Amino acid sequence: MSALTFDRLGKAYGETDVVKDVSLTIGEGEFVSLLGPSGCGKTTILRMVAGLVEPSRGRILIGNDDVTSLPPNKRGLGLVFQSYALFPHLTVFENVAFGLRRRKVSGAELDKRVKEALAMVRLAAFGERYPRQLSGGQQQRVAIARALAPHPRVLLFDEPLSNLDAQLRDEMQIELKRLQRGLGITTLFVTHDQGEALSMSDRVGVMAKGVMQQFATPEDIYHRPATGFVASFIGKPNRLSGMIASRDGAGGTVKLGNSLVLPAAKLDQPAGARVDIVIRQEAIGLAAGEAGQGALPGTVALRSFSGARVQYVVKLADDVELVAEAPSSGPDAALPVGSPVALRLDPAAVFAMTPEGERA
Amino acid sequence: MSATTEKADKPGLAVTTVALLVVVFLQIPVVVVVLAAFSTTSYLTIPPQGWTLQWFAKVLSDPTYLSAIRMSLILAFGSTAISLVLGTAAAYALFRKAIPGSEAITSFLMAPLILPAVVIGVALLQYFSMTGLRGSLFGLLMAHVIITVPYIVRSALASLSGLDLAVEEAARVLGASGFEAFRLVTLPLIAPGLVAGALFAFITSLDNVPVTIFLISASQTTLPVLIFSSVEMGVDPSVAAISTLLIVATGIILLIAERRAGFHRFV
Amino acid sequence: MMKTRTGLMLIAPLALVLAGFFLVPVLMLLPTSFGEYLPGSGMTPGVWTLENYTRIVTDDYYLEVIWRTLGLGLFVTLACLVLGYPLAYLIARGPQSWRVPLILLVVFPMMLNLVVRSFGWIALLTNRGLVNNLLIDLGLISTPLKLMFNLTGLMIGLTHIYLPFMVLMLVAAIQNVPRDVESAAATLGSSRIHVFTSVTLPLSAPGILAGSILVFVLTISALVTPRMLGGPTYKVMATVIYDEYMQLLDWPSGSALSFTLTFMAIAVIWLSSRLTKRWAGMA
Repeated sequence: MSALTFDRLGKAYGETDVVKDVSLTIGEGEFVSLLGPSGCGKTTILRMVAGLVEPSRGRILIGNDDVTSLPPNKRGLGLVFQSYALFPHLTVFENVAFGLRRRKVSGAELDKRVKEALAMVRLAAFGERYPRQLSGGQQQRVAIARALAPHPRVLLFDEPLSNLDAQLRDEMQIELKRLQRGLGITTLFVTHDQGEALSMSDRVGVMAKGVMQQFATPEDIYHRPATGFVASFIGKPNRLSGMIASRDGAGGTVKLGNSLVLPAAKLDQPAGARVDIVIRQEAIGLAAGEAGQGALPGTVALRSFSGARVQYVVKLADDVELVAEAPSSGPDAALPVGSPVALRLDPAAVFAMTPEGERA
Repeated sequence: MSATTEKADKPGLAVTTVALLVVVFLQIPVVVVVLAAFSTTSYLTIPPQGWTLQWFAKVLSDPTYLSAIRMSLILAFGSTAISLVLGTAAAYALFRKAIPGSEAITSFLMAPLILPAVVIGVALLQYFSMTGLRGSLFGLLMAHVIITVPYIVRSALASLSGLDLAVEEAARVLGASGFEAFRLVTLPLIAPGLVAGALFAFITSLDNVPVTIFLISASQTTLPVLIFSSVEMGVDPSVAAISTLLIVATGIILLIAERRAGFHRFV
Repeated sequence: MMKTRTGLMLIAPLALVLAGFFLVPVLMLLPTSFGEYLPGSGMTPGVWTLENYTRIVTDDYYLEVIWRTLGLGLFVTLACLVLGYPLAYLIARGPQSWRVPLILLVVFPMMLNLVVRSFGWIALLTNRGLVNNLLIDLGLISTPLKLMFNLTGLMIGLTHIYLPFMVLMLVAAIQNVPRDVESAAATLGSSRIHVFTSVTLPLSAPGILAGSILVFVLTISALVTPRMLGGPTYKVMATVIYDEYMQLLDWPSGSALSFTLTFMAIAVIWLSSRLTKRWAGMA
């Protein structure tokens, strides 16, 4: 097991930077996710680590070895592809044996290690099958066994769960995490699914437009987003246009509509700037009845039930609308449309981000 | 599906009848040649006047025919093998987009299919006369590579286009060198398409007259050119006998290709 | 990503073979076509002339051969279309179990040696051939019909030879017509013939064009079948080129006619690709 380090790693295609100077270190045995929308550069980083894309700048280190200019077959990594990329003409056994044979493992040792790897993913009885005879979930597990069998220094995942249906995906998340913990293998996991990233990772790197926005624990990413983008990408945010009303130290106030002023604990923009205001649904406290001190008065405009929680569209002053949640088993689960409610907003949950297209 | 749409899809009786007659039309000359080969008379009657194997015996003991068959096989195997290596390598590079202008290069590689074969024949005749290659095996072999390689390039490109690039990348990450990844993963996956392409190339070489006839020497000819010239001299049942052998060989090759590689998918 | 250098090394061998044994020889034919024919010894050195080309467009003999070649191409293309479409339709839309046997029966004659197939037609069409014998035995005619060494023989032979190409192109084209669209037309009340003419036929038009171009170009370029069924006297462009090179040793005229034939083939292909692009733009 080795640490994985990026040192000012960058990639440009022509004039376009797809990855801009990313530096970070993934500790030994750590599980790190790169999270971001498609085109944010996360897959490019993974492919540079694997040696499938040549970096334009910077270095990649596995342990203390600089592997930046090594070809993929000399890096000793395991990679699980989104499409699984199993060898369709080889049996499951031979798929898993492929990496071992390249390392000149043969005979009883080969047999033992392939069976070990297949047992790890609970497919011990499937060695003689061909990939096309397996279900999607089983193919996924073969791909994992194939990557693990040669005992790679670092394990890479490229959106491995996106082709599975929702229930199977949840099962695989837990299975993968348990496997990774058991082996203690350094893992880089690329995904656009925040649930996946938050639940599986020791640390998460959130990326946008080739730039690492925040690299921190899931708790920090969720509760203390470093940028407006991270706040808007994680959780279920309300996003409304408004402006910075005033600044006071690190925070200040923001204004929605003509008169609705909310305190915000952390702001980057100067007073008077037009911004998108991001307020997470789950961070809004909602209670039935008239608003008391420090709460915002509103009325229920729409109610929708989604299992464990109930979402309300609440109309505030100046026709500003926010979505807020309540537990579906609590006292506020069945408020009729038109009923008065009070919203409480934590200033630490109010973020401002410069609107799309206005950044230079 | 309702009865109306069911009916609208299916060919009717009239279409089926015409189609089957056309299939029969396609087989007529084949049947006639085979019957002529076993007929005692030197011209053909239905039913044949008598049956004999003498024409086969005559052909198979004729050194001219035997050496022409040998020459044809050397050219067909040789040019197919060379085309297979050169064509697959080039198609692979085109597929991996290693070189800019891949569309123009593809057109260039396919160009020998567009030019009339007789024009390639006379161009090579003049060129080989000037360079002293006329009548040489090397010259003939290269001429046959030119006319067979487009089939290989075409079938290799078609097979490659259905390939998931990630499969080869997976092999690389698992420790295979570039060549190993090609040999162990890509090649087995495109093999059925290559077999079909090689079969087309082989048959094309074996079939060729319009290029070959300009390039052979007086002493060394190929089988189709020999039949072609014999027919100019007059119809002879031994031509029917050698043709029948070719018909049987073609049929067997086709059936094997169908059994082994599902040949009909590639035509 | 493959390195450019690796790519070059993979393409270079074939590119060099094609350049050395295809491109250069064809280009070297060009000066020959502007040379002056010297009977007996080849070409007059140092003399350049356009006469080889002007003769092709003015001389009655050449013009007749060219018009005959083009007419033959047109007829064979139409015949292949008319005969090929029902068969292609049966393969594409008929019983599933017929499909592979039918395709193999189409491919088999196509894979069969061209010389052998032409020889088969000689056995059928000559004065004492099967067709004439049969007609005389049946008492339908008293003297043999002239079926060879003329247009009839060439048309029958060439149609047979190129029909498989047309059928395979049409099968692909008909398979590309979505059956849903046909079903939709049928549920909207179209008769079977109307579904065919208003949906299937127009939607398979690109394939029809591609197949027609292929058959036309192959027909005007054909040497073996016209030579075997047309004999040394009834000539098309390819057989004239053959004679000019092999019998008359008149390389300048032969090469000029070669470029004329090449030009015709490429012009037809170019026109059709223009047409296809325009159709694609309409869709």
